[in-house]
Amino acid sequence: MKPVRLFLSALIALWWVAQLGAQAQTGAVAGQVTDSLTQRPLVGVEVSIPGVARKAVTDQDGRFSLAGVPVGPQIVQTALIGYGQQRKAVDVSAGGVATVDFTLRPQAALLEAVVVTGYGTQRREAITGSVSTIEATTARPAVTTNVDQIIQGRAAGVQITTNSGEPGTGVQVLIRGGSSISASNSPLYVVDGVPINNVPTEPDAMGIGGAPPPPRNPLNVIDPSDVASITVLKDAASAAIYGSRAANGVILIETRRGRSAGGPTIEYDGYAATASPARRLDVLNGSEYDQFVRAQVTAGNLDPIHLTKLGGQNTDWERAVTRSAVTHGHNLAFTGGTEDTRYRASMNYLNQEGVAISNGLERIQGRLSATHQDLDGRLRLGLNVTTSRVNNRYITFEQTGGFEGGVFQNVAIFNPTQPITVTDSLGTHFYESGSTSVRNPVALADQLINLGQTTRTLANASADFDLATGLTARVNVGLDHSGGQRQEYYPNASPVGVALGGGLARQADLENSTRTLQTTLAYNRPLGEGNTLDLLGGYEYTKNQSNNVTAQGTGFFTDAFTFNNLNSAQTRETFSSAVEDRIVSFFSRANIGLKDRFFVTGVLRDDGSSKFAEGHKWALFPALSGSWRLSQEAFMANGPFSDLRLRVGWGLTGNPGVPSYRSLLLLQGSTGATYPWGDTPHGGVIPYTCANPDLKWEQSSQIDAAVDFSLLGSRLSGSVEYYNKHTKDLLLDVSVSQPATCSTRLENVGKLENHGLELSLDAVAMSRPGMIWRAGLVFSADRGKVVSLGPNSFITSGGVSGQGQSNQVSERIMPGQPLGTFFGPVFSGWDAQGHQLFKCAASTPGCVNGTTTTPAAADYAIIGNANPDFTLGVHSDVTWGRFDISVLVRASVGQDVFNNTALVYSTKGNALQDKNFLRPALTDPTGIHEPAIYSSRWIESASFVRLQNITVGYDLNLPVLTRTARSARVYVSADNLLLLTGYSGLDPEVHADAGLATRGLDYLSYPRPRTVTGGLRLTF
Amino acid sequence: MKRLLVNTSIGAALVTFLLLPLQGCTNLDEVPISDITKGNFFHNEAEVLAALAGVYAQLRGTLDDYYNVSEISTDEMVVPTRGQDWYDNGQWLETHRQTWTANSVFSLAFGNGIWNTGYGGIARANVFIEALQNVTVPNKASIVAEARGLRAFYYYILMDAFGGVPIVTTTDIVKNPRNTRREVFDFIESELIAARADLPATRPSSDNGRFTQGAADAILANMYLNAGVFTKDAGISAGAYNSCSGVQVSGGVDACAAAIASADAILNSGVYQLADTFQQNFRADNYSSPENIFAVKFVDQAGLGLNFVMRALHYSQFNPSPWNGFATLAEAYNTFDAADRRRQVILIGQQYNVLTGDSAFDRAGNPLVFTDTIHDITQATEGEGPRVYKWPASPAHVAQDNGNDFAWFRLGEIYLIKAEALNEQSAGSAAALVVLNTLRARDFNPPQPLAVVDRSVILNERLFELIGEGKRRQDLIRFGTYTTRADDPSMAGGKQPSADYYVLLPIPQTQLDANPQLVQNSGY
Repeated sequence: MKPVRLFLSALIALWWVAQLGAQAQTGAVAGQVTDSLTQRPLVGVEVSIPGVARKAVTDQDGRFSLAGVPVGPQIVQTALIGYGQQRKAVDVSAGGVATVDFTLRPQAALLEAVVVTGYGTQRREAITGSVSTIEATTARPAVTTNVDQIIQGRAAGVQITTNSGEPGTGVQVLIRGGSSISASNSPLYVVDGVPINNVPTEPDAMGIGGAPPPPRNPLNVIDPSDVASITVLKDAASAAIYGSRAANGVILIETRRGRSAGGPTIEYDGYAATASPARRLDVLNGSEYDQFVRAQVTAGNLDPIHLTKLGGQNTDWERAVTRSAVTHGHNLAFTGGTEDTRYRASMNYLNQEGVAISNGLERIQGRLSATHQDLDGRLRLGLNVTTSRVNNRYITFEQTGGFEGGVFQNVAIFNPTQPITVTDSLGTHFYESGSTSVRNPVALADQLINLGQTTRTLANASADFDLATGLTARVNVGLDHSGGQRQEYYPNASPVGVALGGGLARQADLENSTRTLQTTLAYNRPLGEGNTLDLLGGYEYTKNQSNNVTAQGTGFFTDAFTFNNLNSAQTRETFSSAVEDRIVSFFSRANIGLKDRFFVTGVLRDDGSSKFAEGHKWALFPALSGSWRLSQEAFMANGPFSDLRLRVGWGLTGNPGVPSYRSLLLLQGSTGATYPWGDTPHGGVIPYTCANPDLKWEQSSQIDAAVDFSLLGSRLSGSVEYYNKHTKDLLLDVSVSQPATCSTRLENVGKLENHGLELSLDAVAMSRPGMIWRAGLVFSADRGKVVSLGPNSFITSGGVSGQGQSNQVSERIMPGQPLGTFFGPVFSGWDAQGHQLFKCAASTPGCVNGTTTTPAAADYAIIGNANPDFTLGVHSDVTWGRFDISVLVRASVGQDVFNNTALVYSTKGNALQDKNFLRPALTDPTGIHEPAIYSSRWIESASFVRLQNITVGYDLNLPVLTRTARSARVYVSADNLLLLTGYSGLDPEVHADAGLATRGLDYLSYPRPRTVTGGLRLTF
Repeated sequence: MKRLLVNTSIGAALVTFLLLPLQGCTNLDEVPISDITKGNFFHNEAEVLAALAGVYAQLRGTLDDYYNVSEISTDEMVVPTRGQDWYDNGQWLETHRQTWTANSVFSLAFGNGIWNTGYGGIARANVFIEALQNVTVPNKASIVAEARGLRAFYYYILMDAFGGVPIVTTTDIVKNPRNTRREVFDFIESELIAARADLPATRPSSDNGRFTQGAADAILANMYLNAGVFTKDAGISAGAYNSCSGVQVSGGVDACAAAIASADAILNSGVYQLADTFQQNFRADNYSSPENIFAVKFVDQAGLGLNFVMRALHYSQFNPSPWNGFATLAEAYNTFDAADRRRQVILIGQQYNVLTGDSAFDRAGNPLVFTDTIHDITQATEGEGPRVYKWPASPAHVAQDNGNDFAWFRLGEIYLIKAEALNEQSAGSAAALVVLNTLRARDFNPPQPLAVVDRSVILNERLFELIGEGKRRQDLIRFGTYTTRADDPSMAGGKQPSADYYVLLPIPQTQLDANPQLVQNSGY
């Protein structure tokens, strides 16, 4: 019998015992809550008594009353975001009303008193694991399309890199350096208690001239303005409650709920923003290119025929494909209800143009949240429904690969002396050179249609029932359903469409659905004398299903249909597939508090996943952590610390980020299996996976040690943490001993190790009447390395993109080195003929005086490390009268980036094909016939400091002006205002999926915009 | 009291609800939805034939890395770096110059590709043969023989490239040590002889392309001719001819005699005859060539066509735009007799779009002219080097997919095998001369029969007949010039003599990692 089931049975027995003694006499508690600074009543303060289910909320006069309180001494506590918690003792008599008033101080460090943890909440001081919280309302950059952006720079140890400057682009989230090579490094997202299956909701696009841009962020479904709080569970001790899916950390998102206090409220939040590319590719302009070609022809390096390709124009292709993009967003919410029934409904609309033409995103989203309590508060019901529609308009740009290329490649190479459009006997149309290896980038953006749409519904319904004092049963049912489409058309009007066989249309549908059922039983009771016991047991069942259909046609006699009439295509193809997987879990947690000083948390989770091999489907994930509140000890009573805690934790977590069915040998019919006999293709079937009967979880163990402190009357608080993480049984795609029906398969081999230091500080730098200045800092340094790769001596990764770069890789994963290690020839200069020279050993064929023009594999060396030495986030928020000013600065120091863009486009030889190139090539000694060769020459230091956001706001005194609005705020905000870096490329923050666990590759990324926003927030 | 009762009942109901799923939903068995497992397939003839098609489908893969290495590491082909194109981590230069190592891009890309392609075909055949043990279908013996014949061919490719490799006929993933090359040779030989007994001599045109007795005979004839190389792990002569004479094969027969016997089995079968023209063997309708013995079948369909036009042609000569990479060397081109019609498969001089016939231009706009020489293989221009355009574009091509079949064995080579084996039995053999001249007759008008025969005449005749057909590496190794030869010095940056051990490819490091039982070929 599973230990968890035992535990649950015990809890149920406990309930029956407790039920017997439940009938006791009660009294009431009432009082008022005021602000210590303004002396005004505080609205919406939650007042509760530990162990008593029913909570009260203060009304417009700051008053509250709580009935049904058991007779005897009780502790009454308050909770309000932005204010410190206060607890007071009262004596409740049978049928009497005990009065207690509170005066709350605006809290110094913006730390919430109650923190959302997995499957429940905890008082901050009782938390024994490593948890970062971000209160959404205080951390909102100007234009956010997904919640990850809120976290950027505000949580120590959480490294967030948006893929590019494309609206709604995906993000790479690395918590404590990531712990996997082949499997996913994304954290688990849990929205309102329901784990989200964070997979793309739109089918992939076709790759033309390179890999298609990655799909946009699935979390775009949630509007950041609907988010109340974000909690990041970083260490294994706190994340282990999510067991098998927690190895990369867990991000808990709580959405905003209704409030009854103060009567119905209507909020409107609207903004408009304008964005433009922050930096530019440094290519030759028309006259520079013209001069270069003429000079080279005169010098005899170029054939005179190239003079005929000079068009006499001066086209700035980058300017032609970019624009000042306008974004506007509107959010309308109303909230209200009674003490028992509350609701919040919101609608929002976002229309974001990309800084590249023909590119953007539109989102319409509605959300409803309702809570209801009955039976004297013993039954609590909750419902959240979010439905959103996201319409994406993509352009073809390349993230990797690329020969003919997409928009940004052609911005770099398209002849700048040629015009965008020409007018001739055919009318006005886009100029095309006729060469097959370049395409007019404006035409590419304008003519190719690539649309993506997602309709997604996230819903959950929960019921909590207090079986007895302190014993609560909960059922939470979640549904996540998305329908995504991709619609593409490559017209005959474009050389792309012609090359694809006379126009190509494609429609793809992807349907994902996840169903989750959670049942938990929690026991939570103060035991007196500062001792607490908090027990949780539960069961969770999750089923993910996905199916997709793609239909495609080529050969259209007209472009008029675009993708809407596939049956008029000359040839048609269809594809479909479906997968599903299930996860079943039993979990339990015990939090024990002793004398308000010692806290211990134990977690045990038993997870089963259908994805693993028979006999390896189940795994146990334990964790144990404890903290000691030194500040509660008598010997610390007179010290400077208002709070001082030591924390230590250990836990095991897992990573199941593998596709379904990988433990089985599967056969599949496909084009690759088809073979003609006679001259008729005979539909075939081939085994296309290898069975791996040993496939199991990737497992991380992590220890965490930390000091949390508050100083100077809580005006300075912070944490210092150290962690050490070992991941074993890595899910690695390794070469299989042949013969086998696959060349590689997933096996559990290899080990990774990460350790690091995190520091976070929050301070009230200044606090005086009319002015508060809060500042915060997060610092993290992570050091990771590969300990073992099983049988592999190394794994190549980081495929180099561009012309003449087939089978060139930039990174090598090898034992003893971190992920993101650049490996290649060491550049040593040029010879007199303009050949690039590389260091070599004397034994290399062609090595003369320690240098060669053709480096051999044996001469490759480690030439860079894509991991930063440390990252830093600093934020400052000043409230001065009715003004508020906030600033967020991020920095990352010590990392290298491979400038793939410079490698393939800093080549004068491009002129041989009438292609433009980057300006630095004008002055380098590289010969015009020299190919682009990957080497240490293209590895650059990419340290940077970025002024991420400045916001200036002003609170209008609307109650005075209009007598209707309760509050109003106007603000102006600027994102990505300043970037300090020595990096020569577009942006030092890069991400490309070019192999396993790649980091630090920069290839023609979508430019990151600089955005200025003006907004208005009104509350009625 | 009533309240208590209500509360208790609600609570009890909830608890029951809570406990229900704990008993039930823990089933985690995986049942794939859109894939097949071994257990629910192979029920009937249609399913069996579908799986057999999958074993054949791997043949297409032999025309990638195995074909490329067989050509580019010789004097028949080179892929020069052309400005910004074709440097590709130096892999093409490394291949042509024979400077690869077990860890270099050559091995990680091409060597690994050959290994995985060969063994992938073997694994498919093993799954198929094992699954068929418990299935009743019509013609089962013949179908199993087909799969064994194909498996033997995939072993033949591995043995040709790497020497001795592990022989595995089961479906478990095992880490076996290498068998000796002789053991692999003997295994292939015995499999082909066994399969031959159950195979038909000929097939109806609707089954054109399926394995026949002739296919088994052709592979055997080729193996016997190469027996002086294929039976040896050590002792291959890198600098002198490796004769079939004196090597014993099945039944204690001398390999040269065995080669002649296998060739004669084909020549006397009545199934095959020389095509009317040399070109008929390569055109899009070449499935009808009476000369094909064992061909990789292609049709004009996406993913199912031959893409050699892409390798051979310049960007502007076809649609979609080809790759402008592979060229032949001046020394190969200039060995041809100008009157030899077989030279017409090589493009040189002013070029045209092969679809429209219009004049072709390079990317700068100059008329496209293929030169016979390449001045420097590290800095070639777009137009340098003649191109082997043996398989002309199919009029019905779909993008890069052309319906021309590729014959790994056709009757032309059988003539050459017989002639060479006869010449080994008796140098300058008159019978060999007759065989060679029979083949040459269709290529010259007026006829230019050979007057004498010796080894170098035979090697040249093989170049003329088989250029671009993936045989050159094998031939040069047998003739003892593969590693010792150097490119003509007029082409800068060409191949220099390489060490003797380059007659075998290194086992790629990835495969040594995957199977620690494998021991690297000596020298690497």
